[in-house]
Amino acid sequence: MREGNLRTLKNRLVKFLAPPVILVTAIYVLAGCEGPTDVPPLPPQPRLRVATTTSLYDTGLWGYLEPMFERKYRVELDVIYAGSGRAIELGRRGDVDVVTVHDPALEDKFIADGYGVRRIPFAYNYFVIVGPPSDPAGIKGMSPEDAFSRLADGNGGSFVSRGDESGTHSMEKKIWANAGYNYEKVRKETGWYVEGGRGMGPTLMMTNEKRAYTLTDAGTFLAYKGKLELVPLVEKGDILLNVYSVIAVNPDKVPGVKSDLSARLVELMVSPETQKLIGNYGVKEYGRQLFTPFSGSEPKQVGDNE
Amino acid sequence: MNEIWQGLIKAVELIVSFDQEVMEIAGRSLVIAVTSLGLAALVCLPLGGLIHARQFRGKKTLVTLIQTLYSIPTVVIGLFVFLLLSRAGPLGGLNLLFTPTAMVIGQALLVAPILLGLTISALSGVDGLLPDTARSLGANGFQTSLVVLKEARFAVMAAVVLAFGRAISEVGVAIMVGGNILGYTRVMPTAISLETGKGDLALSMALGMILLFIALIINFGLNRIQQG
Amino acid sequence: MTLIETVGLCQKYGEHDILRDVNLKVEPGETLALIGPTGAGKTTLLRLLNLLDIPASGRLYFDNADVSRASKARQEARRRMAFVLQKPVVFNSSVYDNVACGLKWRGVMGADLRTKVDPVLETVGLSVCRDRNARTLSGGETQRVAIARAIVLEPELLLLDEPTANLDPVSASKIEELIAGIIRQRQSTVIMATHDRSHGERLADRMAVLMNGELTQVGKSKDIFASPGSRDIAEFVGAENIIGGVIIASDDGLATIDAGGRLIEAISDYPDGEEVYACVRPENIILSISASHDSERNSFSGEIASVASMGPLCRIEVDCGFPLVALVTKRSAGELVLEKGKTVHAAFKATSVHVIRRQG
Repeated sequence: MREGNLRTLKNRLVKFLAPPVILVTAIYVLAGCEGPTDVPPLPPQPRLRVATTTSLYDTGLWGYLEPMFERKYRVELDVIYAGSGRAIELGRRGDVDVVTVHDPALEDKFIADGYGVRRIPFAYNYFVIVGPPSDPAGIKGMSPEDAFSRLADGNGGSFVSRGDESGTHSMEKKIWANAGYNYEKVRKETGWYVEGGRGMGPTLMMTNEKRAYTLTDAGTFLAYKGKLELVPLVEKGDILLNVYSVIAVNPDKVPGVKSDLSARLVELMVSPETQKLIGNYGVKEYGRQLFTPFSGSEPKQVGDNE
Repeated sequence: MNEIWQGLIKAVELIVSFDQEVMEIAGRSLVIAVTSLGLAALVCLPLGGLIHARQFRGKKTLVTLIQTLYSIPTVVIGLFVFLLLSRAGPLGGLNLLFTPTAMVIGQALLVAPILLGLTISALSGVDGLLPDTARSLGANGFQTSLVVLKEARFAVMAAVVLAFGRAISEVGVAIMVGGNILGYTRVMPTAISLETGKGDLALSMALGMILLFIALIINFGLNRIQQG
Repeated sequence: MTLIETVGLCQKYGEHDILRDVNLKVEPGETLALIGPTGAGKTTLLRLLNLLDIPASGRLYFDNADVSRASKARQEARRRMAFVLQKPVVFNSSVYDNVACGLKWRGVMGADLRTKVDPVLETVGLSVCRDRNARTLSGGETQRVAIARAIVLEPELLLLDEPTANLDPVSASKIEELIAGIIRQRQSTVIMATHDRSHGERLADRMAVLMNGELTQVGKSKDIFASPGSRDIAEFVGAENIIGGVIIASDDGLATIDAGGRLIEAISDYPDGEEVYACVRPENIILSISASHDSERNSFSGEIASVASMGPLCRIEVDCGFPLVALVTKRSAGELVLEKGKTVHAAFKATSVHVIRRQG
């Protein structure tokens, strides 16, 4: 009698508990079996965090450099995709250890305020103004300032702005200022001025859909060129120089950041090996280099962008 | 239209070939969503029962407030958790920002109002005399709660299903506090968002379909539980 | 020997008194009917007796243990009773599971469970619906499930709240039979609330009358019917003829009451000058065409004011200076040709009159 009771109790329990237990186990097994050796959920290695401007990510450069660094220093590198403005803010808050950005004015302030150790330029390329092949506004070959003035007339296509406080966005604002426009007024223009609010890659996709114009770094444009109908229209002008820097967050000002590892990363970025890799990056895939490694002094002039 | 077809074909390809990266992202999405759902349910189901059972001043206002939080944008929760966990924030010392744990915290907070509010309304649907009936037949407090929960099981399960859907499909929290780090905090929705930005629409479609497929399996499983 | 006892039990709802100073003792094995009009506090009292609610004040003893306040003893005591609520709520599961749940909560399992539940299902006539979802049952069947759920527990104290209310007459009489059977077996002490006095009269040994939250009278069923303690109770227990008057003479327990000029003789110890009500149950009034019954002390002639049919009986109202209601069988009504406007004699014995002192 007692045994019978026990058995029915057991049966009932099993019947009641089986479905949820099986389901949950299945989920975890399914999720866990994707190679726990490759990607442990919480690896024992230290983690180093880099916030990077979107162009370095969208071109795939970080995807290329990351495994190299991880192998060399046995560290998990977390690359966080953000515009230069947000990347620097993350550094200021101590949420990342290193930033790679391209906004010299912001960078200088970051250093001056003591948050960054030192600004180390490691590569450059150029900004270009791209647009549809038909070029309805007729800006081809103009200076960046003239091209912007022509777009601001509002006849001949719209302009897509990053609008995300990124390095490219800073450059755009700088060009508006040089051309004699008040940016705050420009951004309120409707009809021809579109504020996309996204990374470089998505902004290019959007510009392509709208058959509009945008300002982009040459690297991202090259990496996306295959998916776009857009063509470069304005490539010449001193203002279009685009320098990428790596800055380690200052542990004296922001406690808790990993200064040793970030120093390693900075070292690695300017090491001859890496510089060579950056110089060669994309040559095979896109037919030309996306970034010119920074060697010697920072270029002041827009050179031949080959 | 072409891209949708390509997406479908690619989805099948990725599933059939057990694409390492996609499966990993899908698995991570599931683990994070299920963990946050489990945590939230562990707190919210009993808490909902308590709020339902107790009479106190401001109960109606509290319920309205909970219901208002159903529509809180995911990025707002993301921002809140970001500010909390950021090194400059009050819990910065825990060093949790840009980790899966942070995503679990954020998603648990995100689905908590849904679980809480819908549990309360599920229990309100149960006849008020039911607990008394159970007690009059000798059920103790715990047994009475079980009876009430069992009566409301369909509605409670609906709450769980809805909360799961919100957790596994949201982008805001995942990107704000997870950082969309490849191989660590990248989940299906953030991967889709990223791939769309990169212009790889077929891959995005494929990922979206895989996400739906996972949801289908989960809901199938939950329905089985409900009937069992 | 007392199974359950209340001492000065009070209950409030907000500021509103629902029960006031209820003192009640119930012996093991007896059946008590709690009668009173709707809203008198019957359900509130049963909920207190079942230890579902905590009284505002007063004491409650079950099997001589004080269970007035929250304690472990309350849960244990509650498991020795069962309460069938007025509105039966069945659980969303099979009839069998519904009836089995109370036993399960007490740790009964497996074969033991079946050997207990199945006979009870047989008793209440629900064996055929054993595996049906209880939510799909009719009102009468639902009530039977509720009763089965309680009696399967073999409780020492069975509490029933209006078990036949809200049922059609056929279902109600089936339930009443069922309850009568349970009471006959004398296994449980039964406390049953009802607003139907005849129901209580048929089933209970004793009755407790609850009026406006107060226990106004407790006694043997026939005593309460014969000698209600107040005008309200008299009305409630069906003494339809309540005639106001003053005692003008009394002699060795026999009093003469002046009711608006007509004199009524009754058995009473009240002194002269006392303002009273004379209560006569309609079934104790005999109607005849000629005044010849010398054995009846009280005989009044009057015109028939109305004739109403009530099943096998006729309710006849005679205007004798005061209205007097009598019940006669349809057959004798036919034989005597009792019609509106006809003059008849209404007679009743002095012993049929119950005298209540008029208060205030």
